[in-house]
Amino acid sequence: MNESDPHPDLEALFASARSHRPDTSAAEYAFETRLMARLRARRDLDGDAVSIWAMVSWRFVPLFAACILALTIWQAETSSETTDAVSIASLDNPVAAYFGSN
Amino acid sequence: MVPAQSPPPDDQLVAATLAGDDTAFVELTQRHKGRVFGVASRFARDAAELEDICQEVFIQAYFKLRQYRRDSPFEHWILRITTHKCYDYLRKRRRSGNNVSVDAMLDSGYEPAAPQPPAPHPDLERLHAALAQLSPEQRLVITLLELEERSIQEIASLTGWSAANVKVRAFRARATLRKLMEK
Repeated sequence: MNESDPHPDLEALFASARSHRPDTSAAEYAFETRLMARLRARRDLDGDAVSIWAMVSWRFVPLFAACILALTIWQAETSSETTDAVSIASLDNPVAAYFGSN
Repeated sequence: MVPAQSPPPDDQLVAATLAGDDTAFVELTQRHKGRVFGVASRFARDAAELEDICQEVFIQAYFKLRQYRRDSPFEHWILRITTHKCYDYLRKRRRSGNNVSVDAMLDSGYEPAAPQPPAPHPDLERLHAALAQLSPEQRLVITLLELEERSIQEIASLTGWSAANVKVRAFRARATLRKLMEK
């Protein structure tokens, strides 16, 4: 037998649902213990992530140093090439170089 | 005779937790878990999901405790986190695909939430199945409004939506529910 009403009164259904609050007592049992265990695990994980990052970043120090050295050398060479180019231009056309520099 | 010591207020427990006292947070959890479980059980599909939602609520509360301004009770703050967490779960569920008809859900042995006692009337089961068909926003609003008996203003405060927006969503949720229930 189907007791279901094809046009049920929504308000009555809400009232009925309100009175049937789910029983969560079983789920709540020892919840704090499980929560604190998860919190500790999360804190340990966060701590591990920080220590791993610190370890890895120290290992990259030589690489960063090499990059900075390469950049410095490259910049020094580029600036010396520019100075040479200006000197050659002044030899080719001293008047233009004179007015260009003033 | 020693007079009974009154329990410390929430603010004191919050301060103790921030100072590194985990037992204070355990006490805060014990004090508020009932309300958190009560609200979350209206949205959770099963016991495992209920446990997950509640744990995430308290973990977020723990890590964001410094953001708690003591201008409103701690309970309001934790219920706001609960509401947002339930909404996140509803949206996640919707994204993972849950568009089956009410009848199909009932035929497949759908249970609204694991710790729920057997529904006394088939229509109530249909209501829960129909609620599961609503959009996350509509379901959140209508559940808080009708099952948790929260006011429009309270829902607006819990969700961060405007009161007008909450009213519109409640109206649409009712219309959708009626349609689904009449099918």
